[in-house]
Amino acid sequence: MNSMRVVDAAAPATSPLVALMTPATAPLLTRGAFADGQPDPITAVLAQVPELFDVALPFIGATLGPSFVPLRAKEIVILRTSALLECEYCVGAHTVVATDAGLGHDEVRALRAELDWVAVFTDNAERALIGWIDAIALGRGRVDESIATAMTDHWDDPAVVEITVLIGTTMMLNRLCTGLGLPPGADTLERLSTDGFSA
Amino acid sequence: MSAIAEAIDAGTLPGRVWMYADYHCNLACTYCLTESAPGVSKRLLDPDEMIRIAREAAELGYRDIGITGGEPFLLRHLPETLAAVSEYLPTLVLTNGTLFNETRLAELAPLARLPVALQISLDSPDPDVNDEMRGPDNFATVIDAIPRLRDLGITVRIATTGEPDRLDEDDHARLCALHRELGVPDEDHIVRPIVRRGRAADVGLGQDFAPEQIPAELCISVDGAFWSPFGPTVRGGELDTDLLISRTTAPLSRPANLLLRLIQGRLPGDAAAIGIR
Repeated sequence: MNSMRVVDAAAPATSPLVALMTPATAPLLTRGAFADGQPDPITAVLAQVPELFDVALPFIGATLGPSFVPLRAKEIVILRTSALLECEYCVGAHTVVATDAGLGHDEVRALRAELDWVAVFTDNAERALIGWIDAIALGRGRVDESIATAMTDHWDDPAVVEITVLIGTTMMLNRLCTGLGLPPGADTLERLSTDGFSA
Repeated sequence: MSAIAEAIDAGTLPGRVWMYADYHCNLACTYCLTESAPGVSKRLLDPDEMIRIAREAAELGYRDIGITGGEPFLLRHLPETLAAVSEYLPTLVLTNGTLFNETRLAELAPLARLPVALQISLDSPDPDVNDEMRGPDNFATVIDAIPRLRDLGITVRIATTGEPDRLDEDDHARLCALHRELGVPDEDHIVRPIVRRGRAADVGLGQDFAPEQIPAELCISVDGAFWSPFGPTVRGGELDTDLLISRTTAPLSRPANLLLRLIQGRLPGDAAAIGIR
């Protein structure tokens, strides 16, 4: 089921649709993110609109960063959503992050839709979670009652809310990265190659 | 009272809002921050937008308006717009002073009754030195225009821009004698350094400044809101964004409050630590 292309870390990166801000061009409100050099491409494009950057980046940080929802669950959400939306940048980056968060090779491949996730994930809470992700990210209209019930049976209300917001935020970033053609970083491509993943 | 008005009263926020009316100019000065010249992109600020900014600036507690360019008097609507803008706040217009023919002077006459002042550039008491930077016959044209404007009753200030080593004590004394002779008092003559941005940077003129060394005068151009009129400069035809505050300029309170936050030292830094991959 592996339809994704094989990593070629030496391949030239495609050019983004818009300019990435740099330490020399970064507007005042965004400068903190450029203090240590060139930041990630998402940060660098959001800096095009400093007043949006000013609220978006803390929001993204609060949503994707450490919280009361376990890191493993959050990475399941981000990687699975990104794979469903076929975001090359986010799938690559979060294959690395998910691996670092302790997910196994087959688990990562299953979330990337390269293996059957039902066969790989046996924990009922994580199965409910993946079902919820698929329904939210791909579905339209109301979520099937059995999927919703499975989710609320295994996750409390605050977790359901945060996970759902995380799915939506990831989808926003997926479309941002894909629409603007943000290329995966060379370090990400190299790491994927080392770990035996496709990009 | 708004937080902006309180900060202006306390002296922590400058009380002037600047606008870049345009970016094109009939001159092409050697040190121009915006690479202004006859053929460049005009980047026009709509006159209704200028009036809206003035109205909102007054509501927020700002005390006066500055209008610059480009050469603002290339815009046919400017006298009428100045009259409307100055209904809200006293207004200073920066001009090269070379476009004041009889027709234009007649259009400007009503401004004499309004809180509008013109600041005209004159860089040296010596015509050849002035004209080397500002263009042929600039000195003579400006010297001719200033008394004519003053005769209309319009307040005229003179701004001298230059490298410290190009205006020695003798030059300064002769320049001051000249502006007094033209009827411009000492308090209406300012001398300012060249800022190394735009064309000045290309030819190695001027001094580098950190943002905190430049007064944080909110400046609106068609491209957004900036830290100061030294912000929306152009180099190589590209807008400089390092002093950009926001792309959004309406309502004016939005960039004004962001600028105030920057002044109060709440520069963001946490964003760098969130680790988006």
